[in-house]
Formats: sequence, C-alpha cells, structure tokens
Amino acid sequence: MMISVRNLDLTINGKTILNDISLDIQPGLWSCLVGPNGAGKTTFLKVLLGSAPYSGSVKSDGVEVFRNHKRNVAFVPQQPQIPQGISVSEYVALGRSKRDGWGNESSQSREFIAKVLEQTNLYGMQRQQISQLSGGEMQRTLIARALAQEPDLILLDEPTSALDLHHQIEVLNNLQFLQKQGVTIISTMHDITLAAMYADRIIVMQEGRVLADGASSEIIHSPELRTAFDNRINVYTLDSGRPVVIARKDEKDEK
Amino acid sequence: MRGEKQEDSAQIQGISPIWNWRTTFICAALLLLVGLLAISFGPIHLHFGEIIKTLLGMHGGLSGQDRTVLIDLRLPRALLAALVGAALATSGAVYQSVFRNPLADPYLLGAASGAGLGATIAITNAHGDVYSLLPIFSFIGGTLAVLTSFFISGKFFAEPQSLLLSGIAVGSFATAIQTYLQQRHSSSLRPVYSWILGELTVANWQIVTWSSIYILLSLGVLISISKQLDGLMLSDEESFSLGINPNRLRMIAVAAATLATATAVSASGLIGFVGIVVPHLVRGITHRVTNRNLLTVALAGAAFLVLADLGARTLLSPAELPIGVITAFVGAPFFLVVLRRRRTV
Repeated sequence: MMISVRNLDLTINGKTILNDISLDIQPGLWSCLVGPNGAGKTTFLKVLLGSAPYSGSVKSDGVEVFRNHKRNVAFVPQQPQIPQGISVSEYVALGRSKRDGWGNESSQSREFIAKVLEQTNLYGMQRQQISQLSGGEMQRTLIARALAQEPDLILLDEPTSALDLHHQIEVLNNLQFLQKQGVTIISTMHDITLAAMYADRIIVMQEGRVLADGASSEIIHSPELRTAFDNRINVYTLDSGRPVVIARKDEKDEK
Repeated sequence: MRGEKQEDSAQIQGISPIWNWRTTFICAALLLLVGLLAISFGPIHLHFGEIIKTLLGMHGGLSGQDRTVLIDLRLPRALLAALVGAALATSGAVYQSVFRNPLADPYLLGAASGAGLGATIAITNAHGDVYSLLPIFSFIGGTLAVLTSFFISGKFFAEPQSLLLSGIAVGSFATAIQTYLQQRHSSSLRPVYSWILGELTVANWQIVTWSSIYILLSLGVLISISKQLDGLMLSDEESFSLGINPNRLRMIAVAAATLATATAVSASGLIGFVGIVVPHLVRGITHRVTNRNLLTVALAGAAFLVLADLGARTLLSPAELPIGVITAFVGAPFFLVVLRRRRTV
C-alpha cells in the first residue's frame, strides 16, 4: 500500500498542527515518527487513517485516504478504551468485523482469532477480562485485535509506552513478524533507540513539520534529530555498532 | 494429520462464539410465562386454560365480567408493562454503551426528566385527547434535554463524564420547572403526581397502540444497529478503521433510545432502575458485554417490568403500590452492588 502525502496542512481552532508535509511511504516498510510531545505525530497518524480532516493531498494507492473505504488499515491507540467486563476473545473478535461484517464472524474467523492469540502469547487467556490483565498483556491484546483485522497497513500510537523493557521487545518482535508478512507499519515512538533498532525509516517531526526523513541508521546521527529535541539528547554507538540515544542533563538542570 | 485436525478443532472450541441465542430464547419464554401470570392473578383470579381459549378465540373462553377484566384491564396493562420495560432496559444498555459508562441510564442524561417536563406541560394544558399528545410532548422534552446536555458539556461525545454531569444538571432543572408547573396547576396535580410515581393503572388499548408504534420503531432501529454498536466499545479511531462512523452511529443510537425512553416515560411515568438492572443482569448471566444482547435485554426488561407490575398489583392487594417502588426496591441495592464491584475491579 503506497502512501503519498503532498502539502499536508491541518489547523484546529487557528492552531497549526501539521504544516506542509510532503513524503512517500513505501509498502512493506516500518516507518517510525519521532519527535517531542506536541510535534503532531498522533494527528499525522489519524490523517493517514483518514479519520481527521486535512488540506492538501494524502493518497493511498492513488485515492485520497478519507474516500478510500476499501483499504484495510488497523489502528492501535495509545490510550485504549477498554469496556468493563469484556473478555480477551470478545475484544479481539471485534477486529474481524471488517472482514466478515459486524456480528457475522465465521468459524474460519474464530480459527484465525485462535492463531492470533497464539502469536501474541495470549492463548489460554481468551476468557479473562482485559481489565484483569497486566499492562504487557493488555498491550498485546490491543495488537491482537489489530492483527485479527489482517490489515495491509497498521498504525500504532506509542505501542510500547507504559511497558517494561521485556514487554517492549516482545511487542516490537510481534510487529516485526507482521512486517515480514508484508504488512506496512507506521508507528510513533518516544524511545528512539528502539525506533532505530526496529524501524527501517525514521521521520523526525517538530511543531507539525518534518525536520528529517530517511533510513534509521542515518537519521539517528543527524543534526535534525538533536534539533527536534532542543539538543538535549546524546547519541552513542556501542561496540556492536548499534546506536543508543539517551537524554542529556545540562548543568542548568542541576541548579 | 488427524491429530492435528483434532488439535485445531480444540483450539476453535476455546474461542467461544461471541453470542448465542440460548439466553434470548429463555428470556422470551420467561416473558410469556410472567405475562400469563400477570393476566391471570389479581383480585379476580382467571384460569390459564380459559385465558388461552379467550385469546385464541376458541369456544369455552371467558365471558362477562371476567372477559372484560382480561381484555380491557389486564391485557393492555401487561402489554404496556412489557413495552415500557423493553424500552427502558434497551435504552439503558445503549446509553451505557454509547457513553462507555456502566452506570449510565436514560434518566442520568436528562432525557427522562425532559420527557417528564414535556408530559407535564401536556397534562397541565390538556384540552381534550391528552394521551395522543403525550409522546410528542415527551419526545420534544426528552430530545431538548439531551441536546441541552450536549450543548452544556461542550464537547460532543468527547467527554462522556462531563456529559453525564451536565445531564444531571439539565435533569434537575427540568424537574424544577415541572414542579413549578404542578404548583401552578393544582387541579391537575393528582394525575401528574401519580404519573411521576410511575404507574400502569392508566393502561388502555389507546395508550398501548400509540406507545407500541414509537417503542417498537425505536427498538427495531436499535436492535438492527446492535452489531455495529459493538464498534463503539473501541476508541473512535479503531472503530473508524473498522468501517464505522462513530459520531453518526452515536447520533442514531441516542435518537432512537431517546424516543423509546420518552415514549415509555409518557406512558407510565418515571419508573427507575430498569435501565440499569436489566442490562447488567443479562451481561452478568451471559458473561458477554456485546451489544448483540439488545434483543435479549429488551425481552428481559419486558419480563422484569411485567413481573414488577404483578408485584405492585398483588403484594398489598386490594391496595396497589406504584411500580416505581418495586423496581427501586430491587434496583437500588443492585445499583450499589454494581458501584462496589466497579471500584474493586
């Protein structure tokens, strides 16, 4: 699913949220949006989904995204709405509605749900209420619902926030497995080290603009990345060649 | 190979169907049973066999006074109780789903108080056939109250909690105006008060006819969109990604639920707790939160109110309790249990 963004602007109540963004997103790649809070990353994801009004052009396979109702795009929000009392399988099954029609899930779909639950290490918990799960299990449930959709494109807003390191890796490995099956992934991530580790491409955003856009290995060493974070990050390279980004504490912070 | 197939089958068995109709059939049977009990019991006892023969137009049915009691008193009353119970329970379930709040019911959003005000205006200014005007006035009142709540809360569906709070404020305001109107029109105080307490004594075929039109229409809409309503359990972006326009669906759901509530309120007054007790009861029994349970909720709500009305008529016979007392007596403790469970989850 090729996505072309041209001269994208989005203004809400006179405030510019997205400013003149033009880029292309190739199918099958994992692109990661990074930048400080308020950079417009989540809004950009909503525009790519087609749920937010915009000016300019955002085309998916040549059709404006808000008109293209046939495409199968999954969205994983940062702050999910989990209804009280809903079980894991009931929640994941909601993802089948795009394929089967609302309320018409087939026995093949239930088979597929079982596979997805296995893939996300949730099999055996299908009858448990989501509210009783740990943070990691809950995040995996959100991703399982998106996977049940069998999407061509999956948009994830901070999929690893509020997870410990072990669960972050687990969730990201799940996504990488999905990418290997040909699914295009676009995510936002605060952890730039993890973004560089998993994403093929990093798009740096600040105040609604794209500051830099390119291969993860190049962008992570770029001056634009430092600029986006007011030069308050340091990038180190481990012996293995893997880059690590950590926050810098200035002298003035200690005063 | 065979072993693999068996394993696959076992895996699918682990994923239960989201909804099965067993509970629905049980609720339908329960409704028939309590309906039969309701038209049989009372100061004059009518035998089941004779009732069935009368209803089917067979030879050997009831005649004279017994027939009048059945056809003109108990049957319309039981039908009205069933209609009102179905309307309130279904609306409650829909409001809880739309506002993602397990404690939401039509009364909390001001719809019932607004409908009550509309009905009071109709009663206090009645010239002639008041009952044909009641649903229109109630619906206008209910809709205006809900719209005002939306307007005050500022963010359309964005902040369910602030919407509920503004609903409570609008409801209180409507109740205040309603009380003022009652004081100004003391001659119509008694019918208004008995209406507020919630009662089905006024039931006749005319009320059953007009209320069934509005209630069945709105229930038909709600049950037909019940599967899509499941999408509202997700975030707006997720439901959009699954092909749903969340705000449009909420508008349809709230409009239909408001029509059902307004009609129920105008027909039988303010009967509390049905909208909370019944949906939670069905969810508790089936262990499912899906909105595909709406038909079951409607049947269970109908059975609950028919049974409550039977209690209201017979517990202190020959005196009659307002039905709202019975539903509140069961509903208030239940409401507290729901609150307590919600805190501990």
